[in-house]
Amino acid sequence: MPPSTPRVALLVTCLVDTMRPSVGFAAVRLLEQAGCTVHVPVQTCCGQPNYNSGDRDGARALARRMIEAMAGFDFVVAPSGSCAATVIKDYPQMFAGDPEWEAPARDLAGRTHEIVSFLTDVMEIDAVGARVPARATYHDSCSGLRSLGIKDQPRKLLASVEGLTLAEMAEPEICCGFGGTFCVKYPDISNKMVSNKTADIAATGAELLLAGDLGCLMNMAGKLSREGKPVKARHVVEVLAGDTDTPAIGEGGK
Amino acid sequence: MSARETILSRIRRATGGGDPASVEARLAGGQGAPIPRQGRAEGDARVEQFIAKARAADATVSRLATADDLPAALAAELRARNLPAAIRTGADPLFDRDWGPVERSTGTGRLDEPATLSRARMGMAETGTLLLASGPENPVTLTFLGETHFVVIDAADIAAGFEDMWAGWRARGLDPRTVNLVTGPSRSADIGQTLQLGAHGPVALHVFVLG
Amino acid sequence: MSAHAPTTPRFKQNAREALANKNIQAAMGNAQAGFVAKRAAARAALPEFDDIRDAARDLKNHVLANLDAYLERYEAKVTAAGGHVHWAETAEDAQRIVLDICREAGAKTVNKGKSMISEECGINDFLEEHGVRAQETDLGEYIIQLRHEMPSHIIAPAVHVTVPEVEAEFRKAHTHLDPGRNLAELPSLLAEARGVLREKYFGAEVGITGANMLIAETGQSVIVTNEGNGDLSQSLPRVHIVMASIEKIVPTLEDASTVLRVLARSATGQEITVYTTFSSGPRRPEDPDGPEEYHVVLLDNGRTGMLGTEFQEMLRCIRCGACMNHCPVYQSVGGHAYGWVYPGPMGAVLTPSLIGVEKGGQLPNASTFCGRCESVCPMRIPLPKMMRHWREREFEKNLTPSAARWGLAAWRFLGTRAWAYRLVTAASARALALAAMGKGRLARLPMGGGWTAHRDFPAPQGRTFQSQWRGER
Repeated sequence: MPPSTPRVALLVTCLVDTMRPSVGFAAVRLLEQAGCTVHVPVQTCCGQPNYNSGDRDGARALARRMIEAMAGFDFVVAPSGSCAATVIKDYPQMFAGDPEWEAPARDLAGRTHEIVSFLTDVMEIDAVGARVPARATYHDSCSGLRSLGIKDQPRKLLASVEGLTLAEMAEPEICCGFGGTFCVKYPDISNKMVSNKTADIAATGAELLLAGDLGCLMNMAGKLSREGKPVKARHVVEVLAGDTDTPAIGEGGK
Repeated sequence: MSARETILSRIRRATGGGDPASVEARLAGGQGAPIPRQGRAEGDARVEQFIAKARAADATVSRLATADDLPAALAAELRARNLPAAIRTGADPLFDRDWGPVERSTGTGRLDEPATLSRARMGMAETGTLLLASGPENPVTLTFLGETHFVVIDAADIAAGFEDMWAGWRARGLDPRTVNLVTGPSRSADIGQTLQLGAHGPVALHVFVLG
Repeated sequence: MSAHAPTTPRFKQNAREALANKNIQAAMGNAQAGFVAKRAAARAALPEFDDIRDAARDLKNHVLANLDAYLERYEAKVTAAGGHVHWAETAEDAQRIVLDICREAGAKTVNKGKSMISEECGINDFLEEHGVRAQETDLGEYIIQLRHEMPSHIIAPAVHVTVPEVEAEFRKAHTHLDPGRNLAELPSLLAEARGVLREKYFGAEVGITGANMLIAETGQSVIVTNEGNGDLSQSLPRVHIVMASIEKIVPTLEDASTVLRVLARSATGQEITVYTTFSSGPRRPEDPDGPEEYHVVLLDNGRTGMLGTEFQEMLRCIRCGACMNHCPVYQSVGGHAYGWVYPGPMGAVLTPSLIGVEKGGQLPNASTFCGRCESVCPMRIPLPKMMRHWREREFEKNLTPSAARWGLAAWRFLGTRAWAYRLVTAASARALALAAMGKGRLARLPMGGGWTAHRDFPAPQGRTFQSQWRGER
């Protein structure tokens, strides 16, 4: 059982911080609705870009800062399966055998959660109070799905959103082709993958694309927009928090 | 240093010499891999599962009371398949019988042989698989060069799964050059990724289960 | 195409060409859905599947920890059965060993069952250069031999070839047949291949097969096939050569069975392949058929160098192809783009080990780390993790492109200095938001051509989360 009013640190992620702060505010709202007190420690990046590019030293340098920033909270919650998986799965390996940092890395990994699974699995929320009349489809981002086992949790909460119907893609679990730096290192392959994905999205007839990772969403939204497909893309927490006033990803201001 | 010594010493350098006791234990049969339910059928369910699995692998199967029923059953199968009344077998004593209208020749496999007949030493219900052992009684080429391959197996020789089959196999004490596990007729999906029966081996496999 | 001229360093260009090749795109689209659905059905039908995967992983880990002992035991058993074991440190050594055996046998023609190790060693070209004709008999291998190509998939070598292309190859190659014959239907193509290849079986003095496993307990080599060509290739010629790499060892028949239970299910979705053949030594004195000589070439070719390193787990691989069947990158570009023998995720890990990270380093970079390969690997090989290890090796050897190194160093600088991070992210967010001019997206991006060539760039909202949270201006 979690503490009655858990102190939660929001690991906002550098992408949400820079690109789409409204996701962070939606996350805060959901956490507060669930009974958490939310703190936002001064933070930068979890180090995943360096780690996945082979720069172990750089990754560890960033990870140490994140470990320090997140010390002392009951839970650390990120609106990203990918960044959460870096902390939960990679940090302990990054510091394996390090006398000073292995224990704090493991401690942080044990306290860290992706937000939707945190709401359902830790805070035991099974419904949100939002109303979003739309036909939506949900993309399972790879890290959340395969590293953290996030599959049913977002669907469960989305089912409680009034007016929302979920139209599944034929292959919601296939990678969208983002892959961090992959999409700029191998643009042609990435393009093929995201084209397959947008075709799958379009075939659902959904007007709204949801996912739990902003990188994937920017990739798919950018492709949908380039193809002129009238599908709006939003982070799943925006919908769960009932925020549909903010322009969708890649959409012009009001 | 020979290539053998170089390779082995590189391995030893990397593994630090390993654990010889665990090797001996493993070779003595100490393994703990799970045996799936599918490989543990008992009694007559074993034979029924064998038949169902063999059919699922595109073999045809008929059940005969004894080997004495074999000549008539084979003649009928050949007729039904529009094959000539001829069969090629090895020297297995099971096949020393009056074949009636069917002309039996013995020897190894030949090109363009319409039908061959072998005896499986064992089988397993787990996957509907036959185990054939090479030798003068059942030359290995008969398994691959007949257009239609007929195989006889005694129901009592059908094991539940791999583990039972290997235990029975060791008990028989045979040491053939080749052991063939056969499950259905040959096939290929190499053209257009579409599965077709009859690649290099037989186009059809028919199993007679005795007993 | 020689196995010794990898085009792996040109991966990007290969990939671009493959993406533009309509035949490859058509063939790949067909194949992948079938493989994925069949594996999923096979897995669902065996409730113990994941437990058996664990057992298979553990068994292979045990073998690798004791590889020397098992190899010696295996060799002793082969020798006792009258066979010969040849140890080859390199592909070149293996070539020479095979050629010597062929010469000794007076071979003009060698029939080949499917063998990835023979591909790795470039045996066909080497034998041809020395006057020995190597005839592939696996239907897929036969098709690509006609096309002078390498396999594009480890279990479906001609998966990239469309049906009309097969027909065209057959018409070109089988000139002794009636040019007016009808090859429009698939069965007629298969029947023609069957007829042509059957005749070839009887002409060869030597048969070469690979080995899916080598069993230490019995000294048997094991091949799994569906066509029966491997069996004809080893049963009809006078000499049988098995080409196998050292990690193919399993201790016992039961251990082999554990691997068999996951192999075909992961590969084609079958419970077991049509033929699983265990061979030991030459024909027995009383045998009327089978080879008179039996040779096993045990190949190292860099594998001992993987033992004891972060790449050791790759040596558990049983070559089922599930990783490539489930890989969105492989599906997009096909196997030839990888430029050498082993494509897909397993190739992305193995290829740099075998040809060097200098040549093969592109492959482990061309992954989104989506993890689907690892999730289906029957041997539970952590493929993405090992691809990252290759990136680490590249980074440590200064092989990472300088722009990327500079970017990573800059990110590290910012990420370890909150004030600098705050300044730069706030400025970038504001600048990009302004540049989008209210449209919410950018069609072009300075230094972001890789992104905007194919998609718009969603613009940032304008102010960073942290600055808003802290009420900064």
